[in-house]
Amino acid sequence: MPNYWRKVFLVYRKDLRDEFRTFDNLLATLVFGAMLVFIFSFAFQLADVETQQAFPAVLWVSIFFSSMLAIQRSFAKEKDNGALDALLLATGDRGIIFLAKFFCNLTVLVVFEIVVVPLLWIFIGVNTLGSFDILLFMVSLLLGSWGLAAIGTMLNGITIQIPSARLLFPILMFPLLVPLLIGVILCSHAALIGSRASVLGWMYLLLAFDLLFTLAPLILFDYVLEG
Amino acid sequence: MRQVRTSLLLWVLVVLLPLNIYIIFNYAPVEKTMGVVQKVFYFHVASAWIGLLAFVVVFLSSILYLWNREERVNRLAFASAEIGTIFISGTLLTGPLWAYPIWNTWWTWDPRLTTTLVLWFMYVAYIALQGGGATETRKRLAAVYGIISFINVPLVFFSARWWRSIHPIVVSGEGIGLDPKMRLAMFASLGTFSLLYAYLLSLRVKTLELQERIKVLRAEVDS
Repeated sequence: MPNYWRKVFLVYRKDLRDEFRTFDNLLATLVFGAMLVFIFSFAFQLADVETQQAFPAVLWVSIFFSSMLAIQRSFAKEKDNGALDALLLATGDRGIIFLAKFFCNLTVLVVFEIVVVPLLWIFIGVNTLGSFDILLFMVSLLLGSWGLAAIGTMLNGITIQIPSARLLFPILMFPLLVPLLIGVILCSHAALIGSRASVLGWMYLLLAFDLLFTLAPLILFDYVLEG
Repeated sequence: MRQVRTSLLLWVLVVLLPLNIYIIFNYAPVEKTMGVVQKVFYFHVASAWIGLLAFVVVFLSSILYLWNREERVNRLAFASAEIGTIFISGTLLTGPLWAYPIWNTWWTWDPRLTTTLVLWFMYVAYIALQGGGATETRKRLAAVYGIISFINVPLVFFSARWWRSIHPIVVSGEGIGLDPKMRLAMFASLGTFSLLYAYLLSLRVKTLELQERIKVLRAEVDS
């Protein structure tokens, strides 16, 4: 077992290193996210919408769209030079590859959020009147990113095997993310008004969702990355 | 033998479909407050039922396909997904026709409505993934997607249910809240639609089979 996690860690480190060395993907994601956030808040200002109410929705729609860019490359880069086969040989277990890629995508998403969430906070001008529940907010961000990374990694493994099917990735991904979207928006909204007790059930649901979509791919990934 | 079964099914349906229409419009009473609009219920519920049934078939045959890799099983899954999409579209179209006069809105984010819409999106995604002239890879990947999206259905439903619900619950744990004649019409619709599904499914599976045979024959001619 320690050997298993060691392999996961090694592949994870490799991917993360690659992510930060070829900085362009991460940079593009960050700029895209910042731009989305800017466009949303600006558009709401123009239409004179009560932006504070819209904050959780804007936040998560921005994260959902940007996550597509962030995750899209995680298997694509293994396609060149038959790196995927080498990776399969080296690890000997497809679950290891899934977990490593999943942790890498999760890390990238967290880095992304560290930059973009404060930006959105400022643009929208959130005023919480002291009732802001920062712990709940952090937990909901983490649970949301976890689910996104798990489903995204799984589906990216599916779509890279089909040539000329880039557009399929979001089409496959968004229907699966609906329960997550409902949960995280309600949780981050509750965090803003500081009513933690009202969303406790949702936290469990999100946790169950995340665990399910992390464990199911471990079984199904053998069929995804076949041959 | 299968030929006979399919055409027999067709003849049964030629009798049953008009009979079902008759039961719905002449036998079942007109609802007291909603009036004639309520008749859409029989089509709406039956289509939704077929949509779910078709999705279960996609799920089960996806698992079976990953296990035994038989072309036959994959054809069944794909055909079922296509037919399910059509019936789910029927549900999504008949719903608003009823909802506008009764709820005074075309659409609302009720758990069942939300789940049905998400189901429709997942069906379409499944069909897009499998594609027309599917390769071995696409079939395998579509099977994986068929399995995960099925797991997702209850999650969508319960999360939307926690959030809000106004959809009338006609069939519940405590029985069916319907007039006996209406109940008969509902079950007649369910039965007829199920047979229609079986007929369309066997037809579609056959066309897929023939398409593949044409491909093989054409390859032989070319070489």
